[in-house]
Formats: sequence, C-alpha cells, structure tokens
Amino acid sequence: MTDKSMKFVPGQPDMWAFVLFETLVFTSYFAVYLIFRTASPQLYLQSQAHLSLRIGIFNTIVLLASSWAVARCVQASRDGRFASASTNAYLATALGFVFLGSKIFEWAKVIRSGFGFSTNEFFMHYYFLTAIHCLHVLIGFVALGVIIYQLRSPARRSQELVETGATYWHTVDFLWVLIFAMLYVVR
Amino acid sequence: MRRTNGELILFWTLPAAAIIWISAFFLFPGFIPPMSPTMSANQVAEFYRDPQNLPRIRYSMILFNWFCVCLIPILMLIVMQMRRMALRTPILAYCMLACAAGGPVIFLLADLFWLLAAFRPERAPELTQMFNDLAWVTFTVQVPYLIMQSLLIALAIYWDRQPHKVFKPWVAYFNLAIAAALAPAAFTGLALHGVMAWDGLLPFWVKNIAIGLWIIVMGLVLGQAIRHQRAEEPV
Amino acid sequence: MNGRRELWFAWWTTVVFYQLFGVVFFVLTRTQPPPDPGWDASRVAQWFHDHHFGLLVGFGIMFLITGMTAPQNALIAYSMRRMSVSRAFGYSYLVLYSLSAIPGMLLMCIVLTVGAMRPDRDPELTSWLYDFAFLSFVGTMGVFLIGSLVWMLAILIDKNGVFPKWFGYLNLCNALTEVVVSPAWIFKHGVLAWNGLIAWWIDMVVFGIYTGVFLMQLRKMIQREDFGDGPLPDSAPDQESVPSTMASSAS
Repeated sequence: MTDKSMKFVPGQPDMWAFVLFETLVFTSYFAVYLIFRTASPQLYLQSQAHLSLRIGIFNTIVLLASSWAVARCVQASRDGRFASASTNAYLATALGFVFLGSKIFEWAKVIRSGFGFSTNEFFMHYYFLTAIHCLHVLIGFVALGVIIYQLRSPARRSQELVETGATYWHTVDFLWVLIFAMLYVVR
Repeated sequence: MRRTNGELILFWTLPAAAIIWISAFFLFPGFIPPMSPTMSANQVAEFYRDPQNLPRIRYSMILFNWFCVCLIPILMLIVMQMRRMALRTPILAYCMLACAAGGPVIFLLADLFWLLAAFRPERAPELTQMFNDLAWVTFTVQVPYLIMQSLLIALAIYWDRQPHKVFKPWVAYFNLAIAAALAPAAFTGLALHGVMAWDGLLPFWVKNIAIGLWIIVMGLVLGQAIRHQRAEEPV
Repeated sequence: MNGRRELWFAWWTTVVFYQLFGVVFFVLTRTQPPPDPGWDASRVAQWFHDHHFGLLVGFGIMFLITGMTAPQNALIAYSMRRMSVSRAFGYSYLVLYSLSAIPGMLLMCIVLTVGAMRPDRDPELTSWLYDFAFLSFVGTMGVFLIGSLVWMLAILIDKNGVFPKWFGYLNLCNALTEVVVSPAWIFKHGVLAWNGLIAWWIDMVVFGIYTGVFLMQLRKMIQREDFGDGPLPDSAPDQESVPSTMASSAS
C-alpha cells in the first residue's frame, strides 16, 4: 500500500492514516459544535464564562511540553543516545499524567459549580470533547509505553515504532490545541 | 482400557435433558393447547392469576431456565464430528460454534419474560399481557440460529467427500427439511390468529415438532457417529 | 484448492447478509436512521402505526437470516488463526461476537415486533417498548468494543502480515464509536441522543467505512491464503510463488 510512496514519513505510514482519520472525525465533532454554537450564541457565551482560561492555558502548555519531550526523544533515539531518549519518553509520560490530573481537577471544579454533562448544550459539548480527548490521551499512554519498551533493550529498538508512537502523541497534542481554542478562547 | 474422554457422558445427557424438557413443556399450562394472541389483557391476566396455573408456570419455567442450555454440549459433539469430516478449514466448525449459543439463549430470554409475567400477577393486566407477548414472540421467532445450524450441517455433509462419511447424505436432506420447517415461524408477527399466529399450525406445531424431531434424529445419528469413531480409534 | 471455497462461502454469506440488513433496516422497517427519542407516547404510537407492515415483514426477515452472522464471525476468527498470535484471540472474538447479536440486534427486532403487533396497546407501554428496542440496539456496546480491540491487538502484533497495520488502527476507530454512542443512554434530544448528529450519523459513517474496509480486507486475505503457517504471501498463490518478506508486509 505504501511501497510506491517516495515521500519520507516518520514512523509507520499506517499511523499517519489513522491519525488523519481521527483528525477528520474530530473535525466533524468541531463542526457540529460550531453549528450549534451559531444557533445559540448567548447560551454558549454565558456558559463558557464558567470555564477557567487559566486551567486551559496550563493544560495547553503541559501538553506542548510533553510533545517537545517526545520530539527530543525521537531525535535522541535517531542519534543513538538511548538513555537520553528514555528519559525524555518518561518525561513526556509524566507530563501526560499532569495533564490528566489537571483535567480531572477541572471537571471536579466545574461539576461542583453545578454544571454537569446534562446541564446545557455547551457543557454537553465540553464534557464530550474533553472526555473523548482524554480517552485519546489514555491511548497515548499505551503509545508512550511502546516507545519506552522499545528503547529499553538493544535487541528491540525499532526506530520505526518509536516514531510511530511519537506521531500519535503529537496528534493528541494537536487535537487538544484545537479544543482549547474552540472551547476556551473563542468567545 | 479405552480412555475416558467424557464424550459418551455428554452424549447421554441428551435423553436426560429431553425428558426434562418434555416434562416442562407439558407442565407449562400455556403450551397444550397454546395460548392465543387474541386473548384480551384481562384474559391473559386471569391466566397468570389462576391458582391452578401459576405454580405450573413458575416451576416449568424454572426447569427450562436450568436446563435449556443442555443442548449446547450436544451441539459441541456435532462440532467434534464435523472436525472428522474432509474439510480443509475449520470455518464450518467455527460457524457452528457461533450459532450454538443462539437458540438456547433466545429461548432463555423468552423464559425470563414468562417468569416476569408470572412474578406479580396482580399488576395491571396490560403489563402482564405485554410480558406475555414478549415471551411468546421471543419463543416463536428463536429460529434463525437453528436454521443456520441445519444449513451448516447439510453443507458440511455435502463437502465431506471421503469414503467413510461421518454422517450419511440423508442427514443433510433431513436438515434442509428442518430448516424449511422452521422458517415460517420467523414471520409470526404478521398474524394474531390463523395459521401464522404464534399458536398456529406453522409457528407453533410445525416449528416445535421440527425442533423435537431434529433433536431425536440428530441424537441418534450422533450416537452412531460416536460409536463408529470409538470403534475406529486404537484402544 | 477446495479449502478456499469454504472461506468464500463465509465471505459471500457476510456480504449478502449486509445487503439484506441494509434493506431491512433502512428501507423496510425505517428503523435506521432511528426515530426521535424525544417523542411523546402518542407520537410513538403513531410511528408504530405508520410502519406497521414494514416492521413486521422486515423483522420477520431478520428472524430468518440472523444466522448469517455466524460465518462472518467465523471468518474473522479464522483470520486471527492464520496470524502468528495465540488462538485465544480468534476464540475470544468468536465468543464475543456470537453473543452480540442477541442483545445488540435481535432484541430490537423482537421488541418492535411486539410493539407493532398490537396497535391498540396503551401508548405508554408502546413507548416503553420503543425505548427498550432502540436503546438495546444502539446501546449494546461492550461486545463490539472489546471484540474490535481484540482484533486490533491481534493485527498489530501479527508477524504473518495477514492485514496491514492501518487496518488494525481502523479497528480502534470502530471501538471508539462504541464509546461515542454511550451518551445515548442519557440524552433524549440533541447531537448525543440515539438519533443524534454525533451519536448516530457520524458514528454510522465510521461504522460504514469500517464495514466496507473489512469486507475488502477479508476478500484479499482469502485470495492470498496459502493455508500455511508463515507470513501470508502478498498476492494470490497462483500469481506469485515467492513468499513475501516480513518487511514489506509489516509496513
């Protein structure tokens, strides 16, 4: 399927196909959100005010940092500096957990303020999008796990798999930036 | 001393299960004669409230609940025989595996609905009638996996091109006939009275007799096949 | 090689089943796309009335043909048997999916049949049957979720190259649709209801793509099958006798 491709793509081309597909699906969710937002701008605006922009920015910085760590990991792995690569992979994972923890904290906060999944249309979208994204983060931990596992032993090290996992993690970050922009920033 | 692989034990559970099923079948007051879909809600509620009926309904359905899945080990014995056929892949055996739970589990669902209907007979008649409807429809339309099983057996026999076939060709034709006999029951929703209603000739009498006949005939044929297999096997 | 005809039997049965399924659900019974969960009891009763014969005939057909799902599950289980992974994967899938059709499809067929059979039933009861039917169909998630993950894992670990890796990832997409549909149990209106833009329409697009793709992948597998144990050759055995290397099929 990919044998004829002359372009260099890091990692499995299959992962790029998957990532593209998932991005398309997410884009459709965003389109739905935007359509419904246009229909009731007041409701969405008022509800959005209850979200903390600070937490949103924090989340974004954390994920961007973890992506940077993953990129350094891939570079180190290419250069053969496997210890450094491993460290960066662990760092990315730790930052991922920080993101997750912060998300859970934010959800608890918003729920305690009285805004649940079924409260109104905006919050339905909010919980749905952030939850589906978090599910992708959890899957990302599996990808990071594969990277760490690959880097551990000289017998296994597949650069392709490391880059494949990295591709996925970058996508998770990219999707978060879009969600952040839509839910938190655009007012 | 021939090794005990337990297949004969499993096989002999069939007559035991059959006796239990037949007893439970006659114990349930709604089978002979079969309840009509045209009964009004009050009539259905009366049926379940009748102190002559209620214990019989509950105990027969409890019996069925315990033992309806007893057919599955027998289906597995048929799968084991299929593996002796001259088939190149395990596809047909896998298909049988996929079908095996279907018939008994759908029957189990119907059983649950009957037990539910009988649990609080004092409730509103319309509710009892609804549970009774669910039970009867589920029981009657439970045919798809049974039809597929028969077709699979027929196909397997047809493809079993070897000198000593596991099952004789007539078994294939028998299974095709059974599949055809079961088919009309699928459409019982279309009629509340007459030949196609759930108490009618095709969905009730023909379907249930076909199932009974299948169990008896396949049981005998299976027993024969197991006997041949054990005779062929080195001691 | 008459082993292949057994595989083709399973494949064709699957294709025919989906055609019939499509006609029954989308055309005859009009249960797909699903009607609105937000309707009141009298509107629901009206829906049953409008679709009376379509429901009864269409689901009658389903009661006849549901057995055709067995060869599909058998073929997919077989595909895992051909892989280098443990037989446990194929067996797990077979068991999971064999059971899935009863709560996940047949229940709806049975319950809507019961609903349609008595047009004079109290609309409140009919409305309960309506909920029971659609929620069981849309909301039976676990078997498909876990089953897809099992197949995904098998494909990703497989060294025989039975399927391309991107198809493994597509199984993950299918599994995720079972998560996305879960809010249908909560919402009666909006995009996450059982007829919603996200929970039904977008999910259906993904499922439709997935189904089309796996049918093509299974077809390719049957064409390539050499009934051996090692890596599956890239093309049909009579065209090429050189076994493919793992590198090109592991792309």
